[in-house]
Amino acid sequence: MSGGAGARLRLVSVSKRFVRAEHGAAAVADVSLTVEPGELLTLLGPSGCGKTTTLRMVAGFERPDTGQVLIDDQDVTGLMVYRRSIGFVFQNYALFPHLTVFENVAYGLRVQRLSEAVVRERVGRVLALVGLPGYERRFPNQLSGGEQQRVAVARAVVVEPRLLLFDEPLSNLDAKLRVQMREELSRLQRQLGITTVYVTHDQEEAMAISDRIAVMQAGRVAQVGTARDLYRAPRSVFVAQFIGRVNLLPARVVRAGPGAATVALWRREVTVPADGAGAIGADVSLVLRPESVGLLAAGAAPPAGEIAVDGVVRSRTFLGEKVEYTVEVDGASLLTVAYDPLRHGLFESGARVQVTCAPASLRLLTEA
Amino acid sequence: MSPAAAPAGSSRAALRDPVLAPAVLLLWAAVALFVLYPVSRLLVLTFWDGGPTLAAVRELVTSWQHRRALGNSLLLAALVASTGTVLGFAFALLAVRAGLPRAVVGILDAVVLLPLISPPFTAAIALIFALGPRGLISYHVFGIASLNIYGLGGTLLSETITYFPIAYLTLKAVIANIDPNLEDGAFSLGARRGRVFRTVTVPLAAPGLANSFLLLSAASLADFATPLILGGTKFPVLPTQAFLQITGLYDMRGGAALSFLLLVPALAVFVAQRWWTERRSVVTVTGKSGAATSVKSLSPGAVALLALVCLATGLLVLTFYALIVVASMVRALGADNHLSMAHYAHVFGGGLKAIRDTLVIAAICMPVGGLFAVVLGFVVARTRFPGRRALEFAAMINYALPGTIVGIAYLVAFNDPPLALTGTAFILVVCYVFRYSLAGTRATTALLAQIDPSIEEASASLGARRDVTFRRVVLPLIRPALLAGMTVLFIRAMTAISATIFLVSLSWSLVTVRILEGITNLELGQASAFSVLVILLVYAAVALASVAMRWLPGGQLGRAGSLLGG
Repeated sequence: MSGGAGARLRLVSVSKRFVRAEHGAAAVADVSLTVEPGELLTLLGPSGCGKTTTLRMVAGFERPDTGQVLIDDQDVTGLMVYRRSIGFVFQNYALFPHLTVFENVAYGLRVQRLSEAVVRERVGRVLALVGLPGYERRFPNQLSGGEQQRVAVARAVVVEPRLLLFDEPLSNLDAKLRVQMREELSRLQRQLGITTVYVTHDQEEAMAISDRIAVMQAGRVAQVGTARDLYRAPRSVFVAQFIGRVNLLPARVVRAGPGAATVALWRREVTVPADGAGAIGADVSLVLRPESVGLLAAGAAPPAGEIAVDGVVRSRTFLGEKVEYTVEVDGASLLTVAYDPLRHGLFESGARVQVTCAPASLRLLTEA
Repeated sequence: MSPAAAPAGSSRAALRDPVLAPAVLLLWAAVALFVLYPVSRLLVLTFWDGGPTLAAVRELVTSWQHRRALGNSLLLAALVASTGTVLGFAFALLAVRAGLPRAVVGILDAVVLLPLISPPFTAAIALIFALGPRGLISYHVFGIASLNIYGLGGTLLSETITYFPIAYLTLKAVIANIDPNLEDGAFSLGARRGRVFRTVTVPLAAPGLANSFLLLSAASLADFATPLILGGTKFPVLPTQAFLQITGLYDMRGGAALSFLLLVPALAVFVAQRWWTERRSVVTVTGKSGAATSVKSLSPGAVALLALVCLATGLLVLTFYALIVVASMVRALGADNHLSMAHYAHVFGGGLKAIRDTLVIAAICMPVGGLFAVVLGFVVARTRFPGRRALEFAAMINYALPGTIVGIAYLVAFNDPPLALTGTAFILVVCYVFRYSLAGTRATTALLAQIDPSIEEASASLGARRDVTFRRVVLPLIRPALLAGMTVLFIRAMTAISATIFLVSLSWSLVTVRILEGITNLELGQASAFSVLVILLVYAAVALASVAMRWLPGGQLGRAGSLLGG
């Protein structure tokens, strides 16, 4: 049960359409993904984006209309759930209410008709692993939400599945417990080395635990990458807006080169990183994260290498460790975040300021 | 996010399932053989005679006697439904809205339940004792000898007493579900009690009233026992007429045609009732109600009036049952009132075989029918396969049809080789299983609606096949439904007669048939003793079941209301 090599999961052009879906829209359209052995991949997206349906097709609860699901190069598309060797953790935990914690965890082992001694040994080990020794004889309704969650995880991993699948496992917990549990899940997953697909709509949770994240939108995979990639180099407005908060600055392409483009922004030319620039003269958006924006008093000298533009503070929200400003620049509003405001001083609403940013912190979006 | 698909995924997947597919095929085969086949044989007998013919139906329509039976059936159904619903509404209002102590409501429930779980002739026999030619009340108390209870009046009274509890149970739930804030709102707008009752309470209860009316119509249309005793030749109705056509005149085709005539209004009422109950959900779902205030829409005077009506009815019911008990313990009630155990001696002597047969059949029915019910409920609620709706509907047919029709259909279908099954215990069991499993099926689907499908998916994800999941996860969770289903089967096996009277034989008889024989042989004491025994057995079963329910999680679903499959 420790550090076993995980399986490789591949989805090849998987599509699924529900008969009664509105407008006949596909729930999942042409999704292709690879999850490497031992990796934790998160499917992230707003509700209705197809992430749970994708996960349920991996599990075998749903059958794709087209496409294939492969586990270690074995085509399991037509295989019944119970033959796939998966561990599934449900949003509502789905513990068997009529069975004790021990019997819940032992269930999968009993299905395999393992000997009583083996069952006892493995259940004991996994309960210790999730921090619930001594809970064997309790019933699910005698457990707190966090404890039920651990039992659900224990039950899923005790059978040593090839894949571990999580369907929004933390959404029923309160905020504090959610942070604690996600760290525990992450630790456990690394320890066991089981290839994992994790579904959530919470981008912070996704960034905290994932090796890679697949952002889904309207049944399709919008972008796959590490949390850093997605935050730093989103490839669409959707991804930019879904991962973190963002300012989208309108600009026009002047020149395009490899890995960079020169655009007209704030009545000057700036060279910014780009995957591939649009056509010259095209209107594009630049991604600028709020925390990358600097604010200076009008007249102060901007840091070397940064561009600066005049603006007026329109509103201010003081949040303790940080302060958020809405600044009007060129007739558009710009969101900025400044940390440790008590040390750096506050601007009043209506103050004339300079907005600064490094060109390298800007990023050109090639897709709308 | 929750995808719209059922756990089984697509119907294609359902067909590939190594456990589900055979299970569905088995269910279909059973339903086809024991539901669809007999009914179609009945239709063929009615409409086919070397070629398609309407001769049998034409004969019916031209026969004055049969036209009268149809008219009587419809008239009786309408009257019973009206009086029963009014009475049930009065009881329900008193129970829910009069602020009675819980204990009093409990007593009310117990009294009202008596007729529901009694063998079919109880009210009729009691009526004869009370108001008959030498009736204890009519003759001995009031000295009236000319009161005639045979005919429409007696049948109506007896059926109303027998069936108003259905209305009570239906309406009690409906009234309890009316949000008190709605009535409070009407008061706050300046309406007086009478107005609130008229403009808020009654309109909100209207779907329930309609539903109750339809349920009682169906019960009365199907009732065979009461008119057989009290209707006589003066007041023929379709079920008795069909019975006499077959057992008296050996006219199978005529009986089949008569039962077809009954089938039309019975099905119409059934379909209308289904339509109503499906619509009703729109009305009652109003979200969580606010703070429950004491409802004041009944004035003290109205409560007093309701209490008077209910008290009188309750006393009548109790008197009826007291008469049955007394009659079973004296030589001949009204003529020779000496204490005597002769009737019980007979019951446990010559009648022992019928008791034993009935218990054996009930004992077989319970596990077989209970399992059939929960498997059907599970398959219908939790899987998708082609024809799922059709199977659900087909399995309901024998329940929806009056027992007389089912009995005649079985007689037609299973009287000759290769399926010469009438008179065997097997056919009696089959008849009960396919007629009275619906309560268990409904309890199962109701319970499953509260259990998230992810529980079953969890089992599947841990490597359990569908049959393993059913045995280890689903079955333990729906034990209350299984128990409820088995209790209903027991009650029905002890009390039903309309279908099985056509199927009994010398080798397999039933207590209810012995009761009928007792009545036709004018041995009312014996019939009473048998009835008392059945009532005690059924009460014991209900009590046992409700104790067991209390030990099961989710057991509240199996309370008396759902025990009767209403």
